[in-house]
Amino acid sequence: MEPQVLVEASTALPLVTVTVAERTGAVDDPEGKEGLSRLAARLVRRTGDGLPTEELDEKIDSLGASLSVDVGQSTCQFHGTVIGRSLERFSDLVVAVLSRPSLSGEELGKLKRETLADLVEARENDRDLAQKWFRKTLFAGHLYGRSVSGTPASIASISDADVRSHVAGTLAAKNLVFAFSGDVDETTARALATRIAGALPPGEARVDRVPEPAPLPKGRKLVLVDKPDRTQTQIYIGCLGTHPHDEDHVALHVGNTIFGGTFTARLMKEVRSKRGWSYGAYSNLPYDRRRRGFSLWTFPKADDAAPCIALELSLLEKWVEGGITPRELAWAKRYLVRSHAFAVDTAAKRLAQRLDEVLYGLPPGYHSEYLERVQAVTVEDVNAAIRKRITPEDLVITVLGTAKDVLVPIRTAIGHLTSEEIVPFDRDD
Amino acid sequence: MAGSSSPGARRAAYLALLNEKAPPFGKVTWERSVPFGRALSVESFRLENGLRVLVCEDRSAPVVAYHTWYRVGSRHEKEGKTGLAHLFEHLMFNETENLGAGELDRKLEEAGAESNAATWLDWTQYNIAVPKDRLPLVAKLESERMQRLVLRDPQVASEKEVVANERRYRVDDDVEGAVSELLWATAFKSHAYKWPTIGWMPDIEGFTTEDCRVFYDTFYAPNNATIVVVGDVPEKRVLELVVKEYGSIEPSVLPDEDVRPEPPQREERVVHVNKPATTEKLVVGYHAPALGDFDHPALSLLTEVLFGGRASRIYRKMVRELELAVDVSGSVGPFHDPGLFEIYVSVREGKTAAEALAVLDAELDRLQESPVLASELERAKARTELSLLAGLDTVDGKASTIGFYDTVLGRPAGAFEKLETTLALTPSDLLRVARRYLGRDNRSVLFVHPEKGHAGAAA
Repeated sequence: MEPQVLVEASTALPLVTVTVAERTGAVDDPEGKEGLSRLAARLVRRTGDGLPTEELDEKIDSLGASLSVDVGQSTCQFHGTVIGRSLERFSDLVVAVLSRPSLSGEELGKLKRETLADLVEARENDRDLAQKWFRKTLFAGHLYGRSVSGTPASIASISDADVRSHVAGTLAAKNLVFAFSGDVDETTARALATRIAGALPPGEARVDRVPEPAPLPKGRKLVLVDKPDRTQTQIYIGCLGTHPHDEDHVALHVGNTIFGGTFTARLMKEVRSKRGWSYGAYSNLPYDRRRRGFSLWTFPKADDAAPCIALELSLLEKWVEGGITPRELAWAKRYLVRSHAFAVDTAAKRLAQRLDEVLYGLPPGYHSEYLERVQAVTVEDVNAAIRKRITPEDLVITVLGTAKDVLVPIRTAIGHLTSEEIVPFDRDD
Repeated sequence: MAGSSSPGARRAAYLALLNEKAPPFGKVTWERSVPFGRALSVESFRLENGLRVLVCEDRSAPVVAYHTWYRVGSRHEKEGKTGLAHLFEHLMFNETENLGAGELDRKLEEAGAESNAATWLDWTQYNIAVPKDRLPLVAKLESERMQRLVLRDPQVASEKEVVANERRYRVDDDVEGAVSELLWATAFKSHAYKWPTIGWMPDIEGFTTEDCRVFYDTFYAPNNATIVVVGDVPEKRVLELVVKEYGSIEPSVLPDEDVRPEPPQREERVVHVNKPATTEKLVVGYHAPALGDFDHPALSLLTEVLFGGRASRIYRKMVRELELAVDVSGSVGPFHDPGLFEIYVSVREGKTAAEALAVLDAELDRLQESPVLASELERAKARTELSLLAGLDTVDGKASTIGFYDTVLGRPAGAFEKLETTLALTPSDLLRVARRYLGRDNRSVLFVHPEKGHAGAAA
């Protein structure tokens, strides 16, 4: 079988990027073994060609190359970058790394201990903690609610056999997509992809069994991540968002651009420009194979947290009830169409779009016909999409802050609170 | 014969025409051309009012980066008024005589622009990238805010609040940000590098509109700025726009810098501090050479040997072999004046920063006893080359690199010149800088201990 290969050639720089992407990610981790995909991919990278990690890294570095691995909810990608003159030797190394990892038990032990230490260190990052609890709450009971990195308990439970079985099932030719950009021609790229694929077991492309997330329960749910001595809060507010196959997907994106997608959008204007409450104020609408979340992110000082939340909720309500104006739509279209130049200005970015289409099962022409679809959106389309998808009465609100300072005023600001949970910042589940 | 003249002659001809009709301060002089990588070059011009213009034609995409670098950073501030350069970066997005509050950003976004700004110790820069047909708008807007910014109490008050929130985010509630600030304040006693670019909180809260007005009148002038344009646009078009938009701006009288060189450090400075950290941290700063110093490339390469990637000496020892640290990092500051070689070690739970320092010292002593291996040197050189190239993928990346080296060193292709020097370094060069800079008397050491309630507990 011919491997699936994407190529975006460019001689602008003497660099080549090589991506080998699995169609699997953290959602494929077995229950109780969260973090397995990431651990396994990192172990492949560290024990490739049966070499000790340090020796392998020396070889890669000395070529003027880098090889990293990035594991998300739905994909796992090995990314290589190399100075063009070393492409041939780097290619040999990539083939050897992916086809002959030793998956040594000693290295696995080291990696597990390192991961556990990383999980402790992660408690210092307030934004990540707030984001983690927002995701866990929004996708409670769903695979998207899981942590890609795992938990101390799940990492501890992962065995050599788990890793070997996972690698055998996922690092298989039919489960991979190959992508190349930069100073490389199509023939060279295809030859390298064929070499890698030929050195791996054929396997099977993983079947995507992730269900659609369930609608949010009625009402507003507050999760307060309690951390001592915070002068500032980290706030995420949101609900379920959009799916690339939704008919109103592009319309909702346009609506989000107007609400909180740019530096002059409604949210930024009200929170930062008028009141100076938060350095950043954005709303976000990512995509995946299934419906993901819609979220607002702000980080006001502790004293401003409650009024900031009240303001965000009122802006959301106004957006849903009042919709957008023709003038706002015309402006958003000009912004989206003109700024698209920066989504395709390098070979690496063009390649990333094509790779996303394959890995996330995006509708045909998702990126290449994006501008036409934006231009076709009407005010009615946007307002209907907002009303259908955004639910100001049913929300998850996650705040990282010091509970004794902020809980009471926040509770009052939210109103209609149907449930409330306070979690210590160092809770690891 | 038409079409057969040299590029230099063609440039001289169109500059002559341009200068004939130039506004009072707008006559352009071509200064020089320098290669930038294997395929590009930077053309350097200067307007009569002192404005420096650097143009790099890059046809790889139909976009243009337009960066404005002002040679004013936090080192130009005074005690009690720290953070003013950074606050000003925020204020530059506000009202002008011809643009209402928020209108500048609105126009840029409508043009499809990617825009941002940054301030550091030596400079402030405003970066905008647009589809190439929108270049005239950018030149007009940048010129407008260079000469006609409106400063009023409400905007200053609101922006002070935003900056205070930025400080809480980056420093007060961030362990790494907070200890980095403390390290510089410990290592520097005289030079202006002792205060943070974002400023001390009481200073931020205390700025007046008048402070801002004086700062603007002093430093935001064509003779204190460089415009860098990279992208799919001919240099002639760039110069026509620049002359039109900036040619009438008068230069200012720039003050002499009140430089207070840092005296040599004679003994080690040690500080113990409690922070809301989950584990102990070790933070070390050695006084290090300025970016333009002969020793800077060698010390940078030495840093790569020590901290660059998983095969580096310190990572191997502390993270891999001893499992003492979660992560380690090291960097040499790229500054106009001598800065710091900073080391940051996040220690694993159950281990101490004191243990980490003992290991670090043993490694740094070894470095001063015998030269690094040839294989280590080659690895570090290859990583340095890759890092430079990877940063030049976009027009913004190229404009940033050109603008930064021009502003700090006066050399727009300084990145490639530094690379060339780096690739020629020998183990002896690294031994020299290790012995010159890594003495314990030359350093400050911070031991960061977790505050009560923050220490991690392993599951």
